[in-house]
Amino acid sequence: MGWLEPFRAPFMARALAELVLLAVICGPVSVFVFVRRLSFVSDALTHTVFPGVVVGFIAGGLSGIFVGALVAGVATALALTLLTRRGALSDDASTAVVLTAMFALGVALVSRRSSYTTDLTSFLFGRLLTVTPGQLAETAVLAVVILGLLTLGGRALLFRAFDPGGAAAAGFRTGWLDLWLNVIVALVVVAAVRAVGTVLVIALLIVPAAATRLLTDRLAVMAALGAGLTVAAGYLGLLISWTASVDYGLRLTSASAVVLVLVAAYLVALPIGLRRSHLDPRRAVGGGRRDELVG
Amino acid sequence: MSALRFSYASLGYRRTAVLHDVDLDLPAGRKLVLIGPNGAGKSTLIRSVLGLADVVTGSLEVLGGTPARARSQTGYVPQLDTLDADFPVSAEQVVLMGRYRRIGWWRPTGAADRRAAAVALDRVGLAGRSRDRFGLLSGGQRQRVLLARAIAAEPRLLLLDEPFNGVDAASREAILVAVRELTAAGAALVLSTHDLAVARDLADQVCLLNGRQWAAGAPAEVLTAETLRQAYGGRAVDLPDGQMLVVES
Repeated sequence: MGWLEPFRAPFMARALAELVLLAVICGPVSVFVFVRRLSFVSDALTHTVFPGVVVGFIAGGLSGIFVGALVAGVATALALTLLTRRGALSDDASTAVVLTAMFALGVALVSRRSSYTTDLTSFLFGRLLTVTPGQLAETAVLAVVILGLLTLGGRALLFRAFDPGGAAAAGFRTGWLDLWLNVIVALVVVAAVRAVGTVLVIALLIVPAAATRLLTDRLAVMAALGAGLTVAAGYLGLLISWTASVDYGLRLTSASAVVLVLVAAYLVALPIGLRRSHLDPRRAVGGGRRDELVG
Repeated sequence: MSALRFSYASLGYRRTAVLHDVDLDLPAGRKLVLIGPNGAGKSTLIRSVLGLADVVTGSLEVLGGTPARARSQTGYVPQLDTLDADFPVSAEQVVLMGRYRRIGWWRPTGAADRRAAAVALDRVGLAGRSRDRFGLLSGGQRQRVLLARAIAAEPRLLLLDEPFNGVDAASREAILVAVRELTAAGAALVLSTHDLAVARDLADQVCLLNGRQWAAGAPAEVLTAETLRQAYGGRAVDLPDGQMLVVES
């Protein structure tokens, strides 16, 4: 079996193209998620976008998912920005209750349908192999918007992440910058949700930067390497799931294969990062990270 | 024209004053040193100049206008311990942040900006260190990079909040040289410190704070045993050689 053979099938080629588009945005966006410590925001979005996806699907079928996710994602970005600004997110328990409730609401809505199990699985873990050309076009448009927002605000977002006090002193409105980044993260979730599902999208937002941070100190290199790594994981993951099902008759969801390869790349990078910090203790990465919750 | 003018101002947050009776006039090119114990209100005064703390009563004029309007011409050096040493940025990237307002949203970072960053790093004695990771530099060198960032903004008013905390002797000297050069070129300086020797040697004006302005004026007038003892509440001790030691509890 050839390395490119499976991708002659149009649905496999489209799946790979979708993953390449997602990789190009997730490389740089995950860097900002990493330096702003927004894993919590990403996590919250995966919980709140889910009921949006379900409501969109019930109201408008497959094409309704996009609108539902978009509305839920942007609303969450707005709410999280306001809440963190007022310091109202310090209470982990109440936040967790709200997020779990949103998730349960999604499950409750979807359980009323006759095709309950299939629908739930596809919302949670995506339908990577049924990506349509129209869906690809939508992802491409979102990619342009996301990268545009990131290029325009990148310097200010970097300043704010590094030194919030200094950025405010220089006249940057940090509240608006936080909203800006939260909306970008929400748009990434919207772009990725149909292909990889609400649960696995968080891997695309966190793992690329977490892995490449172990290999380099440079943000631009992290972004480029992260994108490359995600493309490689996308290709390998699809190849593995294809081979498993075609050659060995094993059912392996392609999105989860992609995420597993991505996580494996992180595990491979881990000893390299440890060795770098061992050679130079001051280089130690991630030791004693504080304020993981609100960044 | 005054770089800074406080008229019977009380300063604080959300309309609650934490620092009272500030009455100062700092001309362009002059150096004001703020001294006082921890929690005296030194940072609040600096933050009010940046428009990040409120003027509750009285008035404050910065470079002839409101603090918010003056921001683009104000350079600010924060306390070092507010920053994350783990953050993956180079010294040059940090210095370039001082240019961001000037660059604006649309224009890419240009050669002129990089030159300005290189010149600023040179002025704090860190030429050739632009590619070093910020977090791997010593505390004193990091403080100098932050000063270079403020210099790169080409400010008319420079604000330094406790720049000598945890800083080695070489960096301390480099910081003093750089701020003297800037004020000689016409910029006004506000610097807060616990270091009475710096206040004596550097300042044109010293302002002694502890919840309110206790004294302000030439170093010789303000830095007397009596005023210091009053402001610090008896925690100032005379040393035999004419020096004075302030004991922080």
